[in-house]
Amino acid sequence: MTTEFWILLSAYIISTGILFFIPKSKLRLAVVAFLLKQVLTFLLGLVVVEFGLIEYPVRLFPTINRTSFTFEFYVFPVICAAFNVWYPNGRSVLFRFGYYAGFCTVMSIIEIILEKHTDLIKYIHWDWYLTWITLFLSFFIVHLLCIWFFKGKTA
Amino acid sequence: MLTDYVILAAMWLFGIAGFFLLIPRNNRRKGILSFMVFQGIIWLCDMPSFKYDLLSAPVRVLPKATDLTITINYLFYPVLFSIYYVNRRVNSSIPYRIIYYLFWVSSITLFDVILERYTNLLEYGRITWSGMWIYIGFIFFVSVLICNWFYKEELIRTKGSEPNDH
Repeated sequence: MTTEFWILLSAYIISTGILFFIPKSKLRLAVVAFLLKQVLTFLLGLVVVEFGLIEYPVRLFPTINRTSFTFEFYVFPVICAAFNVWYPNGRSVLFRFGYYAGFCTVMSIIEIILEKHTDLIKYIHWDWYLTWITLFLSFFIVHLLCIWFFKGKTA
Repeated sequence: MLTDYVILAAMWLFGIAGFFLLIPRNNRRKGILSFMVFQGIIWLCDMPSFKYDLLSAPVRVLPKATDLTITINYLFYPVLFSIYYVNRRVNSSIPYRIIYYLFWVSSITLFDVILERYTNLLEYGRITWSGMWIYIGFIFFVSVLICNWFYKEELIRTKGSEPNDH
Protein backbone atom coordinates (compact mmCIF):
# COMPACT_ATOMS: atom_id res chain seq x y z
CA MET A 1 0.00 0.00 0.00
CA THR A 2 2.70 2.47 0.94
CA THR A 3 4.60 2.01 -2.32
CA GLU A 4 1.43 2.65 -4.30
CA PHE A 5 0.67 5.68 -2.21
CA TRP A 6 4.08 7.19 -2.93
CA ILE A 7 3.76 6.45 -6.64
CA LEU A 8 0.38 8.19 -6.79
CA LEU A 9 1.71 11.14 -4.85
CA SER A 10 4.76 11.50 -7.07
CA ALA A 11 2.53 11.19 -10.15
CA TYR A 12 0.61 14.23 -8.91
CA ILE A 13 3.78 16.14 -8.13
CA ILE A 14 5.47 15.37 -11.45
CA SER A 15 2.32 16.19 -13.48
CA THR A 16 1.87 19.46 -11.66
CA GLY A 17 5.54 20.18 -12.27
CA ILE A 18 5.05 19.66 -16.01
CA LEU A 19 2.30 22.29 -15.98
CA PHE A 20 4.78 24.93 -14.86
CA PHE A 21 6.93 24.37 -17.94
CA ILE A 22 4.09 25.14 -20.35
CA PRO A 23 4.76 28.52 -21.96
CA LYS A 24 2.18 31.16 -21.17
CA SER A 25 1.43 31.79 -24.83
CA LYS A 26 0.30 28.18 -25.20
CA LEU A 27 -1.76 28.03 -22.05
CA ARG A 28 -5.08 27.93 -23.86
CA LEU A 29 -3.93 25.14 -26.14
CA ALA A 30 -2.88 23.24 -23.03
CA VAL A 31 -6.27 23.81 -21.39
CA VAL A 32 -8.18 22.60 -24.45
CA ALA A 33 -5.96 19.53 -24.89
CA PHE A 34 -6.29 18.75 -21.18
CA LEU A 35 -10.08 18.98 -21.20
CA LEU A 36 -10.53 17.09 -24.47
CA LYS A 37 -8.42 14.25 -23.15
CA GLN A 38 -10.38 14.22 -19.94
CA VAL A 39 -13.69 13.90 -21.79
CA LEU A 40 -12.28 10.96 -23.74
CA THR A 41 -10.44 9.04 -21.03
CA PHE A 42 -13.15 9.43 -18.47
CA LEU A 43 -15.79 7.65 -20.47
CA LEU A 44 -13.47 5.09 -22.05
CA GLY A 45 -11.81 4.36 -18.72
CA LEU A 46 -15.20 3.67 -17.17
CA VAL A 47 -16.23 1.45 -20.07
CA VAL A 48 -13.01 -0.56 -19.81
CA VAL A 49 -13.58 -1.14 -16.10
CA GLU A 50 -17.29 -1.84 -16.54
CA PHE A 51 -16.53 -4.69 -18.93
CA GLY A 52 -13.84 -6.07 -16.64
CA LEU A 53 -10.89 -5.55 -18.95
CA ILE A 54 -8.70 -3.70 -16.46
CA GLU A 55 -8.78 -3.37 -12.70
CA TYR A 56 -7.29 -0.71 -10.45
CA PRO A 57 -6.99 -2.33 -6.99
CA VAL A 58 -5.37 0.69 -5.31
CA ARG A 59 -7.01 3.98 -6.29
CA LEU A 60 -8.38 7.28 -5.13
CA PHE A 61 -12.04 7.40 -4.01
CA PRO A 62 -12.08 3.58 -3.93
CA THR A 63 -15.64 3.18 -2.64
CA ILE A 64 -17.36 5.13 -5.38
CA ASN A 65 -15.15 4.91 -8.43
CA ARG A 66 -13.44 1.82 -9.82
CA THR A 67 -11.31 3.62 -12.38
CA SER A 68 -8.03 5.37 -11.78
CA PHE A 69 -9.02 8.91 -10.88
CA THR A 70 -5.38 9.98 -10.74
CA PHE A 71 -4.51 8.77 -14.18
CA GLU A 72 -7.70 9.56 -16.03
CA PHE A 73 -8.58 12.86 -14.44
CA TYR A 74 -5.17 14.39 -14.04
CA VAL A 75 -1.98 12.66 -15.16
CA PHE A 76 -3.04 11.59 -18.65
CA PRO A 77 -4.68 14.95 -19.49
CA VAL A 78 -1.53 16.75 -18.33
CA ILE A 79 0.63 14.53 -20.54
CA CYS A 80 -1.74 15.21 -23.41
CA ALA A 81 -1.49 18.94 -22.81
CA ALA A 82 2.31 18.65 -22.93
CA PHE A 83 2.06 16.49 -26.04
CA ASN A 84 0.12 19.17 -27.90
CA VAL A 85 2.08 22.13 -26.57
CA TRP A 86 5.39 20.74 -27.76
CA TYR A 87 4.02 19.04 -30.86
CA PRO A 88 6.62 19.25 -33.67
CA ASN A 89 4.57 21.17 -36.22
CA GLY A 90 6.27 21.47 -39.57
CA ARG A 91 8.53 18.45 -39.13
CA SER A 92 8.46 15.45 -41.44
CA VAL A 93 5.73 12.82 -41.17
CA LEU A 94 8.29 10.31 -39.95
CA PHE A 95 9.43 12.62 -37.17
CA ARG A 96 5.88 13.28 -36.06
CA PHE A 97 5.09 9.58 -36.08
CA GLY A 98 8.16 9.05 -33.94
CA TYR A 99 6.88 11.73 -31.57
CA TYR A 100 3.60 9.83 -31.20
CA ALA A 101 5.35 6.49 -30.88
CA GLY A 102 7.74 7.87 -28.28
CA PHE A 103 4.94 9.09 -26.02
CA CYS A 104 2.95 5.87 -26.41
CA THR A 105 5.95 3.62 -25.87
CA VAL A 106 7.21 5.36 -22.75
CA MET A 107 3.73 5.43 -21.23
CA SER A 108 3.10 1.77 -22.10
CA ILE A 109 6.41 0.73 -20.55
CA ILE A 110 5.58 2.61 -17.34
CA GLU A 111 2.17 0.97 -17.27
CA ILE A 112 3.65 -2.49 -17.77
CA ILE A 113 6.07 -1.92 -14.90
CA LEU A 114 3.22 -0.73 -12.68
CA GLU A 115 1.14 -3.72 -13.73
CA LYS A 116 3.89 -6.22 -12.92
CA HIS A 117 5.15 -4.76 -9.68
CA THR A 118 2.36 -2.80 -8.01
CA ASP A 119 -1.36 -2.99 -7.25
CA LEU A 120 -2.14 0.22 -9.07
CA ILE A 121 -3.31 -1.56 -12.19
CA LYS A 122 -4.11 -5.16 -13.14
CA TYR A 123 -4.74 -6.39 -16.66
CA ILE A 124 -7.58 -8.90 -16.84
CA HIS A 125 -8.54 -9.12 -20.49
CA TRP A 126 -5.99 -6.64 -21.69
CA ASP A 127 -2.49 -6.51 -23.13
CA TRP A 128 0.28 -4.00 -23.53
CA TYR A 129 -0.28 -3.53 -27.26
CA LEU A 130 -3.91 -2.56 -26.59
CA THR A 131 -2.61 0.13 -24.27
CA TRP A 132 -0.21 1.33 -26.96
CA ILE A 133 -2.89 1.44 -29.66
CA THR A 134 -5.51 3.17 -27.52
CA LEU A 135 -2.97 5.73 -26.36
CA PHE A 136 -1.96 6.41 -29.95
CA LEU A 137 -5.56 6.78 -31.10
CA SER A 138 -6.55 9.04 -28.24
CA PHE A 139 -3.53 11.30 -28.81
CA PHE A 140 -4.41 11.42 -32.49
CA ILE A 141 -8.09 12.25 -31.91
CA VAL A 142 -7.30 14.97 -29.38
CA HIS A 143 -4.64 16.45 -31.66
CA LEU A 144 -7.10 16.64 -34.56
CA LEU A 145 -9.72 18.22 -32.32
CA CYS A 146 -7.19 20.78 -31.07
CA ILE A 147 -6.33 21.73 -34.65
CA TRP A 148 -10.03 22.14 -35.37
CA PHE A 149 -10.58 24.16 -32.19
CA PHE A 150 -7.88 26.67 -33.02
CA LYS A 151 -8.49 26.68 -36.75
CA GLY A 152 -8.29 30.13 -38.27
CA LYS A 153 -6.36 31.45 -35.31
CA THR A 154 -3.21 29.35 -35.26
CA ALA A 155 -1.38 26.99 -37.51
CA MET B 1 -37.28 0.95 -12.92
CA LEU B 2 -38.24 1.10 -16.57
CA THR B 3 -39.25 4.74 -16.15
CA ASP B 4 -35.77 5.48 -14.82
CA TYR B 5 -34.12 4.06 -17.90
CA VAL B 6 -36.51 5.89 -20.18
CA ILE B 7 -35.56 9.14 -18.43
CA LEU B 8 -31.86 8.31 -18.78
CA ALA B 9 -32.30 7.65 -22.49
CA ALA B 10 -34.28 10.88 -22.84
CA MET B 11 -31.48 12.81 -21.12
CA TRP B 12 -28.93 11.46 -23.60
CA LEU B 13 -31.22 12.22 -26.50
CA PHE B 14 -32.22 15.71 -25.42
CA GLY B 15 -28.70 16.46 -24.22
CA ILE B 16 -27.11 15.69 -27.57
CA ALA B 17 -29.96 17.25 -29.55
CA GLY B 18 -29.96 20.31 -27.31
CA PHE B 19 -26.26 20.83 -27.85
CA PHE B 20 -26.62 20.88 -31.61
CA LEU B 21 -29.93 22.76 -31.78
CA LEU B 22 -29.58 25.39 -29.08
CA ILE B 23 -25.96 26.34 -29.65
CA PRO B 24 -25.45 28.37 -32.82
CA ARG B 25 -23.01 26.91 -35.31
CA ASN B 26 -20.57 29.78 -35.07
CA ASN B 27 -20.41 29.32 -31.31
CA ARG B 28 -19.74 25.61 -31.37
CA ARG B 29 -16.18 25.95 -30.09
CA LYS B 30 -17.35 28.04 -27.19
CA GLY B 31 -20.06 25.49 -26.53
CA ILE B 32 -17.57 22.65 -26.41
CA LEU B 33 -15.16 24.52 -24.16
CA SER B 34 -17.86 25.46 -21.63
CA PHE B 35 -19.20 21.90 -21.79
CA MET B 36 -15.78 20.49 -20.94
CA VAL B 37 -15.04 22.99 -18.19
CA PHE B 38 -18.34 22.33 -16.44
CA GLN B 39 -17.89 18.60 -16.82
CA GLY B 40 -14.45 18.68 -15.24
CA ILE B 41 -15.63 20.81 -12.31
CA ILE B 42 -18.82 18.88 -11.56
CA TRP B 43 -16.97 15.58 -11.73
CA LEU B 44 -14.30 16.85 -9.37
CA CYS B 45 -16.93 18.17 -6.93
CA ASP B 46 -19.10 15.08 -7.11
CA MET B 47 -16.28 12.71 -6.18
CA PRO B 48 -16.14 13.90 -2.54
CA SER B 49 -19.91 14.57 -2.47
CA PHE B 50 -20.72 11.00 -3.36
CA LYS B 51 -17.95 9.67 -1.14
CA TYR B 52 -19.31 11.48 1.92
CA ASP B 53 -22.91 10.51 1.17
CA LEU B 54 -24.23 13.92 0.31
CA LEU B 55 -26.08 12.23 -2.49
CA SER B 56 -26.11 8.99 -4.44
CA ALA B 57 -27.37 7.61 -7.71
CA PRO B 58 -29.02 4.19 -7.33
CA VAL B 59 -29.91 3.76 -11.01
CA ARG B 60 -27.14 4.77 -13.39
CA VAL B 61 -25.16 3.91 -16.49
CA LEU B 62 -22.02 1.74 -16.08
CA PRO B 63 -22.99 0.84 -12.48
CA LYS B 64 -20.02 -1.46 -11.91
CA ALA B 65 -17.42 1.10 -12.89
CA THR B 66 -18.68 4.07 -10.92
CA ASP B 67 -21.26 5.16 -8.36
CA LEU B 68 -21.46 8.57 -9.96
CA THR B 69 -24.11 9.40 -12.48
CA ILE B 70 -22.56 9.68 -15.92
CA THR B 71 -25.75 10.67 -17.69
CA ILE B 72 -26.27 13.73 -15.53
CA ASN B 73 -22.68 14.74 -14.79
CA TYR B 74 -20.96 13.75 -17.96
CA LEU B 75 -23.57 14.83 -20.42
CA PHE B 76 -26.80 16.49 -19.36
CA TYR B 77 -25.83 19.25 -16.96
CA PRO B 78 -22.68 20.17 -18.93
CA VAL B 79 -24.86 20.58 -22.03
CA LEU B 80 -27.29 22.76 -20.08
CA PHE B 81 -24.38 24.85 -18.85
CA SER B 82 -22.95 25.30 -22.33
CA ILE B 83 -26.39 26.39 -23.58
CA TYR B 84 -26.50 28.85 -20.70
CA TYR B 85 -23.00 30.14 -21.34
CA VAL B 86 -23.20 30.52 -25.09
CA ASN B 87 -26.62 32.19 -25.12
CA ARG B 88 -26.10 34.63 -22.28
CA ARG B 89 -26.02 38.28 -23.22
CA VAL B 90 -22.60 39.61 -22.41
CA ASN B 91 -23.42 43.30 -22.64
CA SER B 92 -26.60 43.30 -20.61
CA SER B 93 -27.04 44.98 -17.24
CA ILE B 94 -25.88 43.33 -14.05
CA PRO B 95 -29.40 42.72 -12.61
CA TYR B 96 -30.40 41.04 -15.86
CA ARG B 97 -27.32 38.83 -15.74
CA ILE B 98 -28.00 37.87 -12.12
CA ILE B 99 -31.61 36.99 -12.92
CA TYR B 100 -30.49 34.96 -15.92
CA TYR B 101 -27.98 33.11 -13.77
CA LEU B 102 -30.45 32.48 -10.94
CA PHE B 103 -33.09 31.36 -13.41
CA TRP B 104 -30.81 28.67 -14.80
CA VAL B 105 -29.43 27.52 -11.47
CA SER B 106 -32.92 27.38 -9.94
CA SER B 107 -34.39 25.52 -12.91
CA ILE B 108 -31.68 22.89 -12.78
CA THR B 109 -32.08 22.55 -9.02
CA LEU B 110 -35.82 22.10 -9.47
CA PHE B 111 -35.16 19.44 -12.10
CA ASP B 112 -32.68 17.78 -9.75
CA VAL B 113 -35.19 17.79 -6.86
CA ILE B 114 -37.89 16.30 -9.08
CA LEU B 115 -35.51 13.54 -10.17
CA GLU B 116 -34.71 12.88 -6.53
CA ARG B 117 -38.33 12.73 -5.45
CA TYR B 118 -39.95 10.78 -8.24
CA THR B 119 -37.22 8.54 -9.66
CA ASN B 120 -34.35 6.36 -8.49
CA LEU B 121 -31.82 8.27 -10.53
CA LEU B 122 -30.78 10.46 -7.63
CA GLU B 123 -31.08 10.05 -3.89
CA TYR B 124 -30.18 12.87 -1.54
CA GLY B 125 -28.28 11.80 1.55
CA ARG B 126 -27.16 14.66 3.71
CA ILE B 127 -27.77 17.35 1.14
CA THR B 128 -31.08 19.23 1.01
CA TRP B 129 -32.66 21.05 -1.91
CA SER B 130 -31.23 24.33 -0.69
CA GLY B 131 -27.81 22.75 -0.40
CA MET B 132 -28.15 21.50 -3.95
CA TRP B 133 -29.12 24.99 -5.09
CA ILE B 134 -25.92 26.42 -3.61
CA TYR B 135 -23.91 23.47 -4.94
CA ILE B 136 -25.12 23.92 -8.51
CA GLY B 137 -24.81 27.69 -8.22
CA PHE B 138 -21.21 27.29 -7.08
CA ILE B 139 -20.30 24.96 -9.94
CA PHE B 140 -21.96 27.34 -12.42
CA PHE B 141 -20.10 30.29 -10.98
CA VAL B 142 -16.68 28.63 -11.06
CA SER B 143 -17.25 27.37 -14.60
CA VAL B 144 -18.29 30.84 -15.79
CA LEU B 145 -15.14 32.31 -14.25
CA ILE B 146 -12.90 29.80 -16.01
CA CYS B 147 -14.65 30.22 -19.38
CA ASN B 148 -14.51 34.01 -19.07
CA TRP B 149 -10.81 33.82 -18.31
CA PHE B 150 -10.28 31.64 -21.36
CA TYR B 151 -12.03 34.02 -23.74
CA LYS B 152 -10.72 37.19 -22.20
CA GLU B 153 -7.16 36.05 -22.77
CA GLU B 154 -8.07 35.27 -26.32
CA LEU B 155 -9.63 38.68 -26.84
CA ILE B 156 -6.46 40.38 -25.74
CA ARG B 157 -4.32 38.14 -27.87
CA THR B 158 -6.30 38.55 -31.09
CA LYS B 159 -6.24 42.30 -30.60
CA GLY B 160 -2.43 42.17 -30.45
CA SER B 161 -0.22 43.09 -33.35
CA GLU B 162 0.94 39.58 -34.19
CA PRO B 163 -2.04 37.45 -35.15
CA ASN B 164 0.12 34.49 -36.10
CA ASP B 165 2.07 34.46 -32.89
CA HIS B 166 0.91 31.59 -30.80
